[in-house]
Amino acid sequence: MSQDPFKQDRHLRTKLDEYHVDVPDFPMKPSRWIRFINLLASPAKDPLDPLISTPSGLILLKIAPIIGTAVVTLIQILMFL
Amino acid sequence: MILSEREEEWMTAYQNGDEDALERIYTLLKQPIYSFIFRCTRDEQLSIDIVQDTFVKLQRYKHHYNPKHGKLKSYLFQTAYRLMITKLNRRKKWRSLLPFLAPLQQSEELPHSDRMTIREAVARLPDIQRAVVLLFYYHDMPQEEIAQILGIPIGTVKSRLHAAIKKLKKELEGGYNESGSL
Repeated sequence: MSQDPFKQDRHLRTKLDEYHVDVPDFPMKPSRWIRFINLLASPAKDPLDPLISTPSGLILLKIAPIIGTAVVTLIQILMFL
Repeated sequence: MILSEREEEWMTAYQNGDEDALERIYTLLKQPIYSFIFRCTRDEQLSIDIVQDTFVKLQRYKHHYNPKHGKLKSYLFQTAYRLMITKLNRRKKWRSLLPFLAPLQQSEELPHSDRMTIREAVARLPDIQRAVVLLFYYHDMPQEEIAQILGIPIGTVKSRLHAAIKKLKKELEGGYNESGSL
């Protein structure tokens, strides 16, 4: 086997040694219920994010429900008249 | 060396029906497997899931392990690595189908700064190089064992290790100069 390539670089070894990992306490057997809860609780991307970031998108977001309601009302009026 | 022989003894005992031996194996190997997966993914919940799934697989296929083919530690690392790749690929698929339902990957949120911490530098390494560095440096694995775990030729392990060290040095250069000048 070849020699340790990290031996030559003390600075890199010092830096790598700084990377500690805290291991949480968890059982050996997985719980499906806990996994499902964690899936629901995990942060996900906001689908409306691109709309909120621009002024026109924000206006569209505000106007869309009004237009939708107006369309549904119009359909109902046309159906029952 | 003595420690790995003990692992094999416990595994043989477990294969022969000693349930306590599995608990001892879990206590001993949970920490290194979790650390390896966490340093690869930076995702706590995913790392816990993978460690648990690795031990579920060990219980389900306990007679598949043969000490003649390698150490128990390598066998479990290989299982965990394969599970990680499968889960990450599945997550990538979900992200492309339903982007707003897939959990955010922490590595995407890395801040750009002049002085880079070792966590960020390791996270910025390409996946294939990161695993090699982590197994070699943090888990003291020989290159033959790394090749076996990752399913790649030993020459590839050497070249990836060399490339990763070069990249890490370059990434940490800013911090090194800064700390030197202070």
